[in-house]
Amino acid sequence: MAETAPVPTAAPRAARKRPRAAEDAEVDRQREGQTELLGRRAIELSRFYGGKIETVPKVPVRSLHDFSLWYTPGVAAVSRAIQERPELAFELTGRWNTVAIVTDGSRVLGLGDIGPRAALPVMEGKALLFKFLGGVDAVPIPIQVGSPDAFLSTVEALAPAFGGINLEDIASPKCFGILEELAQRLEIPVWHDDQLGTAAATVAGVLNALATTGRSVREIRTVLLGAGAANLVTARLLLALGHPAGQLALVDHRGVLHAEREDVDELMVRNPWKYRLALRTNGGGRTGSLESAIAGADVVVAASTPVPGTLRPEHVRAMAPHPIVFALANPVPEIWPDVARAAGAAVVATGRSDFPNQVNNSLVFPAVFRGVLDARARSIPDEIVLAAARELARGAERKGLNAHHILPTMEETEVFPNVAAAVGDAAVSLGVARHRLSHEEFLDRARTLMGRPARLVRTLARAHLTAPVPRGPIGRRRSV
Amino acid sequence: MADEGKGHPADAVAPPIHLRPAREADLGAIVPLLLRLKRLNEEFDPLLKVREDAERQARDIVRSHLADPKAVVLVAEGLGADRDKVVGFVRAVVRERPFYVPEFEGVIVDIYLLPLYRRKGVGEYLLREVSAALKAKGAGVVTAEFPAQNEIAVRFYAKRGFRPITSIHARSL
Repeated sequence: MAETAPVPTAAPRAARKRPRAAEDAEVDRQREGQTELLGRRAIELSRFYGGKIETVPKVPVRSLHDFSLWYTPGVAAVSRAIQERPELAFELTGRWNTVAIVTDGSRVLGLGDIGPRAALPVMEGKALLFKFLGGVDAVPIPIQVGSPDAFLSTVEALAPAFGGINLEDIASPKCFGILEELAQRLEIPVWHDDQLGTAAATVAGVLNALATTGRSVREIRTVLLGAGAANLVTARLLLALGHPAGQLALVDHRGVLHAEREDVDELMVRNPWKYRLALRTNGGGRTGSLESAIAGADVVVAASTPVPGTLRPEHVRAMAPHPIVFALANPVPEIWPDVARAAGAAVVATGRSDFPNQVNNSLVFPAVFRGVLDARARSIPDEIVLAAARELARGAERKGLNAHHILPTMEETEVFPNVAAAVGDAAVSLGVARHRLSHEEFLDRARTLMGRPARLVRTLARAHLTAPVPRGPIGRRRSV
Repeated sequence: MADEGKGHPADAVAPPIHLRPAREADLGAIVPLLLRLKRLNEEFDPLLKVREDAERQARDIVRSHLADPKAVVLVAEGLGADRDKVVGFVRAVVRERPFYVPEFEGVIVDIYLLPLYRRKGVGEYLLREVSAALKAKGAGVVTAEFPAQNEIAVRFYAKRGFRPITSIHARSL
């Protein structure tokens, strides 16, 4: 399986003893060069294939007569059946397995507000991941909307065609209101990957990092650096797991978040999700900069803008013994793993595939959707997100936990059906499942559906229905 | 006050504050809270942008109100760990209504509580106490001024029997 984030690979730097600024700069330059090469190649290949996904029939077409079944007149009876019993759409059409990937393009990757047109290649890539990893048919739908209300009514209007909605790359904090409101209005599961996927992977990693260092989430002190979509949800999930609220502190560009910070009323109006955490967390009322919050912390989860040196060795040294450091900014983590380790970090995780412990939402969203679609869940409560996180953590545990293996890698594909089944089980026990399958049934179904796309892709390639990737320069050639 | 004596749920629980008239010594604590309130107002409308000299203005106005028999300034002090700390205040003035009866109106111009003291019945208590103080100064009606877009305030007052009576509409020149 190809890695999710197209980051260049480099030799692991863990072996180096002392970080040197000049050497770092050289490595950065090399990585930038590789990223540029990858980008050029991606453009050539995107042109060569004319995008990344297409619609393929799932029924045999023996002759044109079959269309009297697949289309008119036969299809009219199928429509009438659904008109009488709307839920039959989940059996008589592909709705049961189809997800809309909806974005307004307001915060795409690290690119910012690039708009819906430019967001399409990213959504196509996401659709590819949905299919390849989750066996889910996903349709990229970047929409041009002027307001959150227009976003809501558009998705509401689209919902009849879909079994689930995956919101993608929407700016914070409007993404919170949109997710909450859609979850209220729609009877199908709604997910915002930048909030929930990243937070679930983070929480899974934190749980295992704590296990490897002999601590419990109920007794730790944690600093979340960056208060965007992912970390606000990570905070919520950690609190749901019993993390003492007073021992959790959020830090953003204005310093430690606390109930009397100067901007707290502004947050009440503009970002009530962050406001509520300002009131609930940071029991000691720590104020000021990161330094004051991180002293004595067991865990730091940095999910901020990718500026190297946001976390510094002295921050790690100020933490409790055996500090756990998650530096999740992409492509440049807030602190390089070797620098963090040299400063005493016991466990380090990043968002990158070229270091151990990649916190990657692709570990989460395909399996979550597999699970909620198979359970035909009405919604995705936090308990389901936590069930996914716990199962992901267990998946890594089965292969043996250590400081370099707190999360499954993307190659450990056997984990994904287990996560899907755990999600299905949680949906059943929470009462949001319309299909109340047994664990074994969820697992079998997930294995079958998640295993099929890789075979499909191989078969299409072998039959030359997918053109092989050209060697060498492609220029402006096209496969079709 | 319209719904006085109806018996509020908050009556049952003692609010976690101690309310008393403000003194000159409280100025240093009141002014930052007043500025927070004005900056909150700024969130609702660009025509409520806070002036650069707002701090000096706040100090002067509150000081003059402390000495003004037609004004009421109350401060809420915390209890326990927040003992002696000013965690909120309310400021109101009695204005004459030359054309209408009742002839005197008690206008709540500022009411602010630090976030941890919200949603605990403290605001309600402040409102009741300031209304009583305004009534004692001759007011026959109590009003509250706040940004039209502040829906939290709209709901707070509506729940307690307030309704819009005068609208102030604005446009830039």
